[in-house]
Formats: sequence, C-alpha cells, structure tokens
Amino acid sequence: MSGEARRKGKPMNKTELLNIAQTWFKTQNWKSFAFQKQTWNDFLQGKNGLLNAPTGSGKTYALWIPIVLDYIKQNPDYKTKHKPGLKAIWITPLRALSVEIEQAANRFAQEIGSNLTVGIRTGDTSQKLRAAQKKQMPDLLITTPESLQLLLSSKGYDKTFKNLNAIVIDEWHELLGTKRGVQIELALSRLKNVSPKMKIWGISATIGNLQQAREVLLGPDSEAFKNSVLIKADLKKKITVKSIIPEKMETFPWRGHLGLHLLDEVVPIIRKSRTTLLFTNTRSQCEIWFQRILQRYPEFAGELAMHHGSINKETRLWVEQAIRDEQLKAVVATSSLDLGVDFAPVETIIQIGGPKGVARFLQRAGRSGHQPGKESVIYFLPTHAMELIEASALQKAAKTTAVEDRIPYLQSFDVLVQYLTTLAVSDGFFPKEIFPEVKSTFCYQALSEDQWEWLLNFVTKGSQTLQAYDEYKKIEIEENGLFKVNNRAIAMRHRLQIGTIVSDAVLAVKYLKGGYIGTIEEWFISKLNPGDVFTFAGKNLELYQIKNMQVIVKKSKVKNSRFPSWAGGRMSFSAQMSELLREEMFVASELLDPVVTPSEVEGSLIGRKKGSVELQALSHIFQRQKKESIIPKKDEFLIETFKTREGYHTIFYPFEGRFVHEAMASLMAYRISLLAPITFSLAFNDYGFELLSDQQIDMQQVFDNNLFSAEYLMDDLQKSLNSTEMARRKFRDIAVISGLVFTGFPNKMIKTKHLQSNSQLLFSVFRDYEPDNLLFQQAFRETFEHQLEEGRLIMAMERISEQKMIWKQCEKPTPFAFPIITDRMREKLSSEKLEDRIKKMMAQWGDL
Amino acid sequence: MGRPVIAMTKNINILGQTFILHPSGGMFWEEEDLLVISDVHLGKVAHFRKHGSAIPQLALKGNFLKLDLVTGFFDPKKIIFLGDLFHSYINYEWQHFDQWMQDISAEVVLVEGNHDVISPKKYEALGVKVIPELIIGDFLFTHHPEERENCFNFSGHIHPGVKINGMARQQLKLPCFFRRQNQMILPAFGEFTGKHILEPKAGDEVYVVTKEEVIYLNT
Repeated sequence: MSGEARRKGKPMNKTELLNIAQTWFKTQNWKSFAFQKQTWNDFLQGKNGLLNAPTGSGKTYALWIPIVLDYIKQNPDYKTKHKPGLKAIWITPLRALSVEIEQAANRFAQEIGSNLTVGIRTGDTSQKLRAAQKKQMPDLLITTPESLQLLLSSKGYDKTFKNLNAIVIDEWHELLGTKRGVQIELALSRLKNVSPKMKIWGISATIGNLQQAREVLLGPDSEAFKNSVLIKADLKKKITVKSIIPEKMETFPWRGHLGLHLLDEVVPIIRKSRTTLLFTNTRSQCEIWFQRILQRYPEFAGELAMHHGSINKETRLWVEQAIRDEQLKAVVATSSLDLGVDFAPVETIIQIGGPKGVARFLQRAGRSGHQPGKESVIYFLPTHAMELIEASALQKAAKTTAVEDRIPYLQSFDVLVQYLTTLAVSDGFFPKEIFPEVKSTFCYQALSEDQWEWLLNFVTKGSQTLQAYDEYKKIEIEENGLFKVNNRAIAMRHRLQIGTIVSDAVLAVKYLKGGYIGTIEEWFISKLNPGDVFTFAGKNLELYQIKNMQVIVKKSKVKNSRFPSWAGGRMSFSAQMSELLREEMFVASELLDPVVTPSEVEGSLIGRKKGSVELQALSHIFQRQKKESIIPKKDEFLIETFKTREGYHTIFYPFEGRFVHEAMASLMAYRISLLAPITFSLAFNDYGFELLSDQQIDMQQVFDNNLFSAEYLMDDLQKSLNSTEMARRKFRDIAVISGLVFTGFPNKMIKTKHLQSNSQLLFSVFRDYEPDNLLFQQAFRETFEHQLEEGRLIMAMERISEQKMIWKQCEKPTPFAFPIITDRMREKLSSEKLEDRIKKMMAQWGDL
Repeated sequence: MGRPVIAMTKNINILGQTFILHPSGGMFWEEEDLLVISDVHLGKVAHFRKHGSAIPQLALKGNFLKLDLVTGFFDPKKIIFLGDLFHSYINYEWQHFDQWMQDISAEVVLVEGNHDVISPKKYEALGVKVIPELIIGDFLFTHHPEERENCFNFSGHIHPGVKINGMARQQLKLPCFFRRQNQMILPAFGEFTGKHILEPKAGDEVYVVTKEEVIYLNT
C-alpha cells in the first residue's frame, strides 16, 4: 500500500486494498486460494453471492477480509478515526461456532490495525452485554437467525441496520431446508430496504441444489440475485471409506443401534492416530460409547472427551479448544460437531451407525485431514449386520460424490405470522409496504392476496369475522393503518417465543450445591423418581428433585445407571442413499445366484462375481434370507407374511428410505382397511415397512384390487393422514411458531406434556370447527412435502408398479424383517369402530 | 359435534342407589333425580383468544351442545357441577352460560374447584349456588378426590383416563369413570380438556367412555 495515499486520506484502489490482504496472508505463512481471491474481488465490486466451500478451507477469510477492505476503502483514515456503528452481520446456525468466527475475524481486524470491533449476540449473551450492544453495536455482529429476528422486534431497528454493509449467512445449507431458513429469507427481505448498501453472501457446503440455494438466499428474480455470483472452492479431497468388519460375522447382531460389539476394534484405530472423532447418531449413543470406552480402557481417562448439544457451553468450548491444542486422543460426538469448527489435529473419523445421507457422511469425513491436499479417512462402524450394506453403498457414494438436495420450505404461514408479529412489536408495519417484500422471497413467491388478507385478519381478529364480546387481542390497527402491538404482555410473550423454533422441551440439570451441567429432555426425566441414577455428560448422577424446571442432582457412585435417550436421530435415507442401497441389494442377489457350486455356497463368495468386502461379510445373512424368503432382484418387489405371538405381520420392501416408507405404510394400511374393518400398527425403517394386525390380511385381495396403484395416490394419502398422528405432530411446531400455544416464561416453562396436549387439543378444535384455517392446512401440506416426500413417493409407486410382486409366506421373521418388526416407534391406523376395538381387546386379554 | 342421539348408558349400583353413567361423562342419580357433571372448563376458548391465541370461536359452542344433550336426556331436578366449571376469570363465555342458565329449569349447584376463581356472587346472580362440598345421605360430593370415613365420595379434578393394550401392539387411551372402593372419579365433561392416565389396581372398576357408549372394562 502506498504511504502517500494513507497520509492524504485518499481512498485506496482495489489493487492496494487487495495488497493488504495478500501481505497479511504472507505474514501468516498462508497462500490464498483462488476461490478466496475471487470472492474478495467480487465482493469489492459490490456483488452478492453464494460461496460453496467446505469447513476448514478458509471460508471465513474469504468473506471477512473484503468486508474490512470495503470499510478501509470508505474510511481512508481508518487507523486514526474509527467510525462506530454496525457494518456487518455474520449469521451462524449454531451458537457453538460463533467463538471460532469471532477469533478469526478479530485476528485479521487487529493485526492490520483496522480498529474494527467484533461482538457476539446469541441466546447465551448476558443481559448486560445485550444492553451495552443496544447502545453501541460492534462493527461486526456474529449472531443466530433467532437473535436477528429479535433485533427486528426492537424499537428503532431501522437505525441499527442503516449503515449495514454486508450480511453473511454461514452454513446456509444447514438453514436452507428449515424454517430458520425462512426466518432468514424474511429478515433479508426487510433489510434490503432498511440497509440499502447491504451485500448478501451465503456460504454453503456442497449440496445437490446449489443454484437454488443462491436463489432462495437472494430472492427469485430480485435485483440482488441478478447482481450475484456462485463461487465454488472446488478443493478436491480424497476420501477413503473403510468398514470395520467384525471377525466373526456369525455372532454379529441382526438389529441394534449401539454398535458396542465392535468397541475393541475401535481402540487400535484411536491409538494410531493423533486425534480421532467418533460420530454417533444420538446423544444417548454418545454417552454410552464414552462411558464404555472408559470402563474398558481406563487408560484413556483424561484423553477422551464427549461433545453433544445438551452439554453445557463451557464444557463444549473446552472440548473444542482441547481438540485444537491436541490434548485429546479421541472425542465422542454427535452432529453438534458436524459444522464449522476447524480442527487441524483430527486425523481420523469413525462413523458409528448409518449416517443416513451422503452429504452428511462426506461432511463428517471432511472433518479429518483438514490441510489442503490431505486425504480424509473415515471408518464406518456398523451397529447391526444390515448396515454393512449401507457401508458398501457409501463407498460408492464417496467416489461419485452424489449429494442430496435441501428442499426449501414454501408457504410457511406459521413463520410469516411470527414475522408479522415481530414487526408489529417493534415499530409496527403497513401491509402495503410489507406485502411486496414478503412476496419477493422464495418461500412466499406464490402468496396470494387472499391468503395475505387471511393472515392479516388472523393476526388482528383471530381469523374470525368480528363478533360481539370477542376479546381477541394481538395486533391492533391504528388510525393511520399501522399494524402494531400495544399490549406489553403480548409483546413480551412474543419475544420469548421467537427463539423457540421447535425443540423438545428441555430442563436444566444442576448440582444440588450449584453448577450447571447441561440440559435434558423432559420426557426422560419424568420417568425417573428421586433417588434413581442416570448417566449424563459422562457422569453418574442421582436425581434429587425437579424444581422450577430444573433437575437437581447429586454425584453418585452407583455403577449401573440409566442412559437418557434423546429424541431425534430418526433420520431417513435420502433418495440418493436409497438408490445406492438398492443397487447394492441387487448386487447381493446376483452374488447368490444359483450358478454356484455347493462348495462355493458353503464358503465365501470370493472368486466368482465380486461384491464389496462388506457384502461378502454378509454372505451368511443373505443365505439365511434366501433360505427363508428371497433377496429381491431389480424387477422384483418382495412382500413377506408370517405369524408370531404378536399377531399377523406383513412386510413390504421398497428400499426407499424411512420417510417414503412411512407414507407408503400409511397409504397401504388405509387402502387395505377399506376392504374390511381392521386395525394396524405400522413400523418402518430404511428398507421396508410392516403392517401388523390381529387379523390376517387377505393378500389376494390386495393384488386383485390393485392396491399398489399410483392412481388417487394423493387423495388416499390425505385420507390416511386423517387417521394417523403425523399431521397432528407437525401441527405442534406450527402452533408454537405461530404463537397459538405459548411455551412459557424462562424458569417457569410450561411442561411439554401440557404443551403437547394443548397443541393436540388445538388440532382437534381446528379439525372440528375451522378446517379451512391456513395454519391447520399447513400441517398436512408439510407432512406431504417434508415428512413424506410426496415427489419421491410418486416415483417409488411408479417404479413398484413395473415390478413383479413376490409374496413369500414365511415360517418366521427373516433377517430383513427382524429390524423392522422389533421397532417400537409406531403409527396406527384403524377402520374398526372404537367400541368394537375395546370389546375385542378385552376378549383378547383372556388369550394373552 | 355430531354426537349420536342414541347414547348407550350404563347403570351401576352403589350402596343400594342407582347411578346412570352417560357417554358425555355426566352421571345421573336416579333416586334423587340429580345430574352430576365435572370439569367442564368453560371459558377456555375465550381465555386463549384474549391472550392472543386464535382458537376458533365456534369451538365454545361444543360444550353447550353437550350440556343441552345430557340435560335433555335425563331432564333432572338438580344439577351438580363438581368444580372447574369455568377455566379462568370471567370472559365472554359467561354470557353464553348466562343464556344457558336461563333456559334451564333445574336447580344448579357448583361444588368449588381449583380453577373456580369467579366470585360466588356472580354465580348467585345467575342462580347458581356455590358451596365447598355437598353431602347427601352417605354420599360426599367434592372437586378433589377425598377419603372420608363412612362416606362414598364423588369427585372430578383428575380427568381420569385409562390405557388399554391389545394384540398386535394395539393401544388405546380413553377417558373413564374410575371407581375405587369408596370413591368414584368422573371424567372431564368439557371438550378438549385432556386426560390423566390412571392404572387400575385390584378392586378398582373402570367404565370407559366413547362418543356413543359407556363400556365396563373387565380387567
């Protein structure tokens, strides 16, 4: 940079600006990547964009540097005169990531002497700091989507954002397919007008629909979109997948989800690398693995840590720092470590249990070997035999890098109701001004005037025509037409509610003597009595009492304790994953073709058609499956029926992933229930689904009536949804987000059980009295679009209609059926009269 | 809401008296010509709306339709509400209740419950007598279940329900009349009130309530 320019306070040109960055990179002994330079350039030219770059690639500097340079350009005497006020916002979906970003941002801002300040504002930020920020915002604010909404709910927000120069949405792929993503879309639609100089940038890992991700971020057909770029980091990384195959497959379990059988095989892997991350699918699995490794290998004490979303922030931050400082040999983690945080010492990743999606698996794999050019190694540890097929499929996925789309939400009326209330709580809004903004977003591009009117009516009159006596209170319309919340209680409730984009109610866990340990789901703790011992955050704790939504505990020396099981972890195979799985299955069926000589069947399958090592390891299970049923070929659709003491089982195998199976199960159960009164219990996994009943299904009738037809599919599915709980459950989130139910004040939270029943009761009220309510209908639409993946369902039904039905009447559960029929999470569907069912059940009690 | 006109009731005998259990959750004491109803929770809809939760207004009609149905069925001389008649403070559902009271010829008594915060004077202005408890012969009527010597207790408050299991992993949760040795707990009468699942012990008797029928659960 030229000294003369600085002295005279002349603005620097782009080359001079970029020199600052390049010089700084040199002092760090770093080399800038092409994607970083391109992002700097495009940003300085005033463009918006989406940067596709993986974690640990230097993406933070790709965007933070040009933000600082832009400031320098506009303020040539930046070294002596600091211009206060908010200049940039950095949105991160996880609070845990904010520290990382703060450190990186500060490092550059300070070392080049820019005098820019960096601050964090999340749910963890103290009241005092928040108040201070309100008086004087930092130059860069790192925050979450919820906290951004909260800023929009404070008076005079337009002044806060007036000089905003840039907003960066980090990990946009994580937000895209969620309602928090919709919150961002809405916030951006407002900020575009409040902050005219604002440039919008997203950062996303690789997903299938990157172009669409950019469109959602910037708004379809918007000026911002037209003036935008998509930059791909294109850092080719070699990923090697290795399956951990048990030496004795014969004793390997057919079902299960913990994978502890292979604990001993994991230890040598941990020993030989610097740091290993073990990813589990659920928090309880994480706790159990942590505990069991230490029990069996006490020498790891002090070198093994655990990281999941329920553990308190300090511990999590400590663990993250310890990984960076290479103090830990291994960390057992959940998806809480999936994102962002850059851990150079991590050499090895172990995935315990199926990751359910290719993108997630590759992202996890990418957590190791962070230095550019280094190979990423990921071990796959199957928790039951069938998961080895997934491993085999993932091998292929890693080679072809086929990744999933993230489906953006459309017409989320609940989020819009929340947003309108947010604006009404702060400075109020004029519908005329806000409607075009809302309509400019991807989510609400199809919003009609009628729907808009309905929503306005909903927030002001509670969706009714005005009646005498009605005391409905929320948003009021002032004389000049301003929509405004004037009631302080309603405003306060609303602000409290914004953070609750739907999570299961959790209670704080604290020691009797004081000291916060973390949070735990209410439904688990409600099953315990004082004196019971459970394991949490790696410690055995005795429940002392539950008071004011706090779980008070004491340390316990008792060895045997219960492990909390957290909800979640019930993910579904993506379409890509399902397809890969089917392909593997066909390979397996061919491997067992009867062209083989008997001696070959006895031994392994090696030597003839070669399947992967995983499939070879599974040969005994395939043979058993084949003996009792078949392994379906590409053109075959398998249905198995058998009877156990539980009742009559019918298993269908579409291999389409859990969510599609959930839809199909409900559809088939509905269609069969039309033939004669019958009651079903439905179970599903990623391979197939089960209809369980106390009566036998007449399969011939199922074929004769062509019940697999794709005709009237959506109509039938809609009707089946009325008889199951799926839409009812979706409605809970909608009721919370739209403020129909209130989750309570801090420390005085309404028990989830009440919340649940409140929203469940509400569902019945709307069904009976106001079925055309847009929020009520949204529950069904969301079930279709996001839960049941209607698009995939239609394609699957079409595929099945071309297959040959093979109905096997089996003696007993087959290896394929076993994991499904033992699943306890079930839906139900009945066409019998309630009174008849009660009487029948009573009659059965004699037989049981 | 679309309740069938024919309701299958169940007659039971307690201490030589006849009580008729109705699918609505109401109970009729034949000898005394007296109808007992518990936990109606009127005013819930208006209460929520007042606090910004847009529950359909039509929903408040459901409880009154149900009340009309059961009073029409038994045509009692006296009606006893076993507490929690109103969910909260006075709101516009009070006007509906006022109207309903005017159309009723029976004597109406409210045994106070924990939710009943409306002043007895307001009730009395409508002709409802408010009392903490009521004793008729050997029978004690309270809101909370009670054990008292030489008394058979009728109560509400709990919103009792039971879980029934059947073959093929079938399970039902239904509201019920729950009878212990010296006690009968009535189901919540109000629509959309939720239920609390009880586990019957030996000697307990359970009468499950569906829209059409009261069924004795032969445990």
